[in-house]
Amino acid sequence: MSEARLVATDVHVKIGDTPILHGASMSVHAGELLAVVGPNGAGKSTLSRAVSGLQAMEQGDVRWGGTPLGELKGRKIARLRAFVPQRAPVPAGVTVREAVELGRSPHIKAFQRPTRHDHDAVDQAMERTNTYEFADRRLTTLSGGELQRVQIAVGLAQEAPVLIADEPTSHLDLGATAIVARLLRRLADDGLSVILVVHDLALAAAIADTVVVMAAGKTAATGKPAEVLTPERLSDVWRVDAELDDAGALRVNWLGR
Amino acid sequence: MGPMNRLVVAVFLALLLFAAPAQAAPRVAALTPFSASTITRLGVRPVVVGQTLGGTDQYLASLKGVPVLTLTHPLGPNMEQLATYNPSIVLSSKTWQRGSAPMRRLGMKVYESDPTSVAAVGRETRAIGKLLGRTRAANSLATKIENDVRAAQQGIKRRLRVLLILGVGRTPYAMLANSWGGDVVAKAGGQLLTNGLTAPSGIVRISDEIVVQRNPDIIIAVPHGNPGAISKLAKYYASNPNWRNTKAVKNKRVYVATGNQLLQPYPGVAATIRSVRAKFLKNY
Amino acid sequence: MVVTATVALLAAATASMILGAVHVPFSDIWQSLTGQAEEGPLRQIVVELRLPRTVSAIVVGAALGVAGALLQGALANPLASPDVIGVTGGAGFGAMLTLLVWPSAIALLPVGALVFGVTAAGIVFLIGWSGAHAGAIGRVILAGIAITALFSAATTSLMVAYSDRVQSAIFWIAGGLSSDGWSSLSVVWPYFSVGFVMAIFLARPLDRLALGDDVAASLGGRPRLVRLAAAAAAALLASSAAAIAGLLGFLGLVIPHLVRLAGGTASHRFVIPASALTGAALLVAADTLARVVLAPIELPVGPLMVVLGVPLFLWLLREAV
Repeated sequence: MSEARLVATDVHVKIGDTPILHGASMSVHAGELLAVVGPNGAGKSTLSRAVSGLQAMEQGDVRWGGTPLGELKGRKIARLRAFVPQRAPVPAGVTVREAVELGRSPHIKAFQRPTRHDHDAVDQAMERTNTYEFADRRLTTLSGGELQRVQIAVGLAQEAPVLIADEPTSHLDLGATAIVARLLRRLADDGLSVILVVHDLALAAAIADTVVVMAAGKTAATGKPAEVLTPERLSDVWRVDAELDDAGALRVNWLGR
Repeated sequence: MGPMNRLVVAVFLALLLFAAPAQAAPRVAALTPFSASTITRLGVRPVVVGQTLGGTDQYLASLKGVPVLTLTHPLGPNMEQLATYNPSIVLSSKTWQRGSAPMRRLGMKVYESDPTSVAAVGRETRAIGKLLGRTRAANSLATKIENDVRAAQQGIKRRLRVLLILGVGRTPYAMLANSWGGDVVAKAGGQLLTNGLTAPSGIVRISDEIVVQRNPDIIIAVPHGNPGAISKLAKYYASNPNWRNTKAVKNKRVYVATGNQLLQPYPGVAATIRSVRAKFLKNY
Repeated sequence: MVVTATVALLAAATASMILGAVHVPFSDIWQSLTGQAEEGPLRQIVVELRLPRTVSAIVVGAALGVAGALLQGALANPLASPDVIGVTGGAGFGAMLTLLVWPSAIALLPVGALVFGVTAAGIVFLIGWSGAHAGAIGRVILAGIAITALFSAATTSLMVAYSDRVQSAIFWIAGGLSSDGWSSLSVVWPYFSVGFVMAIFLARPLDRLALGDDVAASLGGRPRLVRLAAAAAAALLASSAAAIAGLLGFLGLVIPHLVRLAGGTASHRFVIPASALTGAALLVAADTLARVVLAPIELPVGPLMVVLGVPLFLWLLREAV
């Protein structure tokens, strides 16, 4: 496998006085779709924010392409990773195209006009996310699924090799979830590294190359879905009776009977 | 002693008894310097007076020892404090209009006395006299004031153009003919730059352009200030660049009025007129 | 939209130069401005009264428009105006302190308004940008409300304590431009300049805030720093404006909305300059009216501006559905 684009080791995070993470690690390579899973409160989102530089760490080593995160400020880190937040505000009076254009800002210096390449990157990001057809609509008029794809388009316009998406499907219906899932898989197949923070194990098992299981602020396991999501671990971490079947789909004994 | 004598004595005593309450001075709270001075001159000593503007002006010497009430917006005096002096009559002013209803509820008779012209001083004096049952004394006092005012206006030689402003920065908030100060200056022989203008408040902001165009001979600023800062203020006004070319500045006739005599009415208006003529207008 | 605003501003400025309490023939105005006129009252009226006043109105109007645009962008709150970060409360207190307590130091009034406006905003920032949720919108707005309440209470106390001098205070609160030549402007222009320059640099970073702090941070921005800088620039502009023209809060609140509604976009690269133009145009127009309607009496420009601006605003609000 190629050299890892991101290596995070032993990440510790405190928010206020509350320890959230104490010993979380992950790494991601080109073309890899990495799903960070775990129960609510396990620290999935915090880990994704910490490696992105959005959340200060107490200790730990995060390197992007070998460079420590601490040396990557502003535009530099923005060119290495794009972060798509869980729930972004929907500002009034902003069109889809304007929003996606914001994704180019790490590449445009102050008072510079966007170049042809910038325009192309915006168009391409909208095409890849199937948002081009409503490029001139306002964000406030979009459905949840459409909005989420626009958020991903903003990240894609950034043209960073790693895309981190924090629970992009948690508010979407089944159909919209499937569209986003296929989109993320396709992006990884095209060579992008995708880190997907998700609580939907079935989704993670179905599309991820690698799964990182978080439990109580630590990475409990990392590996291929079938290796990691064993019935024992599902029982330990989530306290459910469940297993992956031969096709890789998650079967859950919902009623425990 | 004969029965006739007894009767005379009895009638006399009865008269004394009945007359005494009528003769005894009513308990009056005088909230303005005007009403305090006026009733004092009518022989009624107020039970309490209101503080003067800025608290700096002196009342008549004879009012020394009379308790002073602090006045604040919007009611004027504190009603509880006022009630402790148990006045039967309150001589208030339009400024404290909102306090009138609560005072009336406390059983006080309220009269808002606020002359805004020199002519109103006599009128108001008579009205206050009537209220206090001192009609005759008030009539003669009013007549005396009116005669004094007439005398103070004798021999006005020139009518110079005057800009009279409220001393709030250099912006010309002009005191108009229908303000107290404006009327006093007019009576003292000044020709107000604002000419025919009137406004409900008597004070209005006017255009600097008009000041430049009408070119006042004299500028008088009436500040809310301490007497100590007068010379500093005078320099500040005199150096207003907009007034640079006025005759007032060129002839060094920019004045700052001390005291409150141009801000609010006093019975001694004749003296104020004389002083305005002597100090500012110099039109003898 | 920008063209309309520019035309409106030019028209208003022209009217402001031509109209006034004193009729000055157009040829005299032209000669005065080109330096050909002889020394005299007409030249003085044009060059020393109307010109500085028109320029002041342009600068103050632009500053308030930009301050509102910056704050509404930074706090992602359409109700934000210079009131929200304590500027209005502080500047009002500073002015009252001079007017009521030290009337003999009246010359220092603009300085008092400026210093206390910036101080109040400074306290708000200090509270807003400390603690666990430093720089979070809710925290900043709450701090602003508390500090504004504090300064308003202090102002009211002053007005009660010096109630005999309140009359002079009321004139200032109503807001209005004075014709004191270049003197106020010459004191506060550095603060205006810093505020305007900051606004120019903040337009793009503010756009990035539109999609939330996380997206802004993802794009390499520093949302909390941007918010602080935008609020600081707005505080400078609004305090300087208050120093010259009293409390004209309405402009800062409404102009950016007007611009967004009319322009159909919320991009700060459009909203900030367009707010500057529109704010300037509205204030110059209102000030000209204030000087002309009852000439030679001058009306307070604050209420007049509201009378002009509100119908325009309501009409746009209706059109925008």
